[in-house]
Amino acid sequence: METVIQVSSLRKQYGDVIAVHDVSFEVGRGEIFGLLGPNGAGKTTTIRMLTGLTKPTSGTAIVAGRDCVRESLAVKQRIGVVSEVNNLYNEMSAWDNLMFIGELYGVDKSTRTARAKELLEAFQLFERRQDRLGTYSKGMKRRVRIAAALVHNPEVLFLDEPTSGLDVQSSRLIRSIARELNKKGTTVFLTTHYIEEADQLCKKVAIIREGRIVAEDSPEKLKASLPGERILEVAFSKDAPGIEALLQANGSVVDVSREGNKYRIGTTNTSIVVMELVQLASLNDLEIVSINTKQPSLEDVFVKYTGLDAVQLERMELLRAAKAGTGRGG
Amino acid sequence: MRDFITKALCIAKKDASIYYFKPQIFGFGILIPAFVYLSFSLGREIPPELLVPGLVGMVSLFGASSVEAISIAMERQTETYELLQTAPVSTAGIVFGKSLAGSAFGIALSLITALGSALLSQSQITSPLLFVTGVVFGSFAFSALGILVAAATRDMPTANISLTALRLPMIFIGGVFVPIHALPPWLSLISYLTPLTYLVDALREAMVGPTVSLVIDLIALATWFAILQALAAIVLKRRTEL
Repeated sequence: METVIQVSSLRKQYGDVIAVHDVSFEVGRGEIFGLLGPNGAGKTTTIRMLTGLTKPTSGTAIVAGRDCVRESLAVKQRIGVVSEVNNLYNEMSAWDNLMFIGELYGVDKSTRTARAKELLEAFQLFERRQDRLGTYSKGMKRRVRIAAALVHNPEVLFLDEPTSGLDVQSSRLIRSIARELNKKGTTVFLTTHYIEEADQLCKKVAIIREGRIVAEDSPEKLKASLPGERILEVAFSKDAPGIEALLQANGSVVDVSREGNKYRIGTTNTSIVVMELVQLASLNDLEIVSINTKQPSLEDVFVKYTGLDAVQLERMELLRAAKAGTGRGG
Repeated sequence: MRDFITKALCIAKKDASIYYFKPQIFGFGILIPAFVYLSFSLGREIPPELLVPGLVGMVSLFGASSVEAISIAMERQTETYELLQTAPVSTAGIVFGKSLAGSAFGIALSLITALGSALLSQSQITSPLLFVTGVVFGSFAFSALGILVAAATRDMPTANISLTALRLPMIFIGGVFVPIHALPPWLSLISYLTPLTYLVDALREAMVGPTVSLVIDLIALATWFAILQALAAIVLKRRTEL
């Protein structure tokens, strides 16, 4: 797969504080890549370096074949950037904002007019195109912001916390927009603190903690990488006394617990345990009513690498948003 | 170069549509110079060749510098400046675009003032074209001054206070109320370090009949513009590229 973002030993240092610590990663063309991490982990600093807003202290970042420092204008021409905050002009209408951005990116008038119409229709905003942006809801503003980032048809779309602070409906719409764009070939690079969002959207995820990438792979591979964490849930037709002890004797079983009429078995090897369960059922005249395998979630992976779960993460974000008053991320 | 100009014009058009009508512009760009001038001129017999250039120079200074000082401060505060930063336009291009918007405002306001004051004082402008040229050069320099001050300060109140702190002394030593030759020698020397001095002198020359001094004034104003523009771009880049 062709690499569209190539980051090597990228570092950003403010005095003695290292915000981003020699990170390296690659994003292939057509991927949705998620940078997942808690507040202050270095997500926004990384995205700012990749989009030419912040100069790296050292290292290189190549985006769409151009160097982010030496050829920053060429990079900017090829990317679209959606910041976490609304940074469009509230005094102007959605239409005028899109026309202004189109002109700034050198899109000719007829093309930007057609493109703005197409985008505002796709984002269900065309009817209100002439209303001042200041009268829009937060979710609508975010949609206009994404539309504005797409007027010039970028190769790579950067989304910084795209659904942060939005209602469920707007979040869902934005996720579906990201998927649609990706289907059409746009590479999407997003930062998020929503673990579920990264799991649903991304082909590849990098977990960043204290400025360092601590894990990077597809969500499924990251989940599979947790040893001894696969869960089997089995329900029998009737009580199976002593089955817990029998299962514990199997070397592949990490632990067994009973939850209602189900047994929850932690294992390092599901196949062996399933075979054992079938044998045990047959020997004890039991019928297996249901059997499910459960993989660890991306949240489990995140907890392992950062020590934070989704609730703590959300609490941190709320605190940050309350402090900043704007919702800017780290 | 064409791309640079096109994008700068695009930014200028946007700024004109948003910031010309902000109440702060009316206060800092129009009301303050009007009050300052009235408080110093009421009850005094001021000859037209002193009144018109002084008043127009002051209006150009306040008008051109206010628009972009407020625009830069507001854009940084509301983070719309980041939108410009993410676009394929250099900081110099952004500053030039903003200079265009600020100077257009200053030019329009100055020419209306020139026309009104010349009519009221029943005076004539000997070289209208050179008068307009002076207004254009001066407004560009003052617009860049406004951007530089806003770039160097952290918010709008600080930008406005800093700009006012710079503009008021410039008025007193720039030949607006008192001719330069009437100033103490040390103060007249300092007066040549401000662009307003050159604008007021250029406008006076254009009114009474131009001499070689007007050419020097125009060169000085163009130099001021180039220096302030370059400094504004450097400071703005440093302050925003964190």
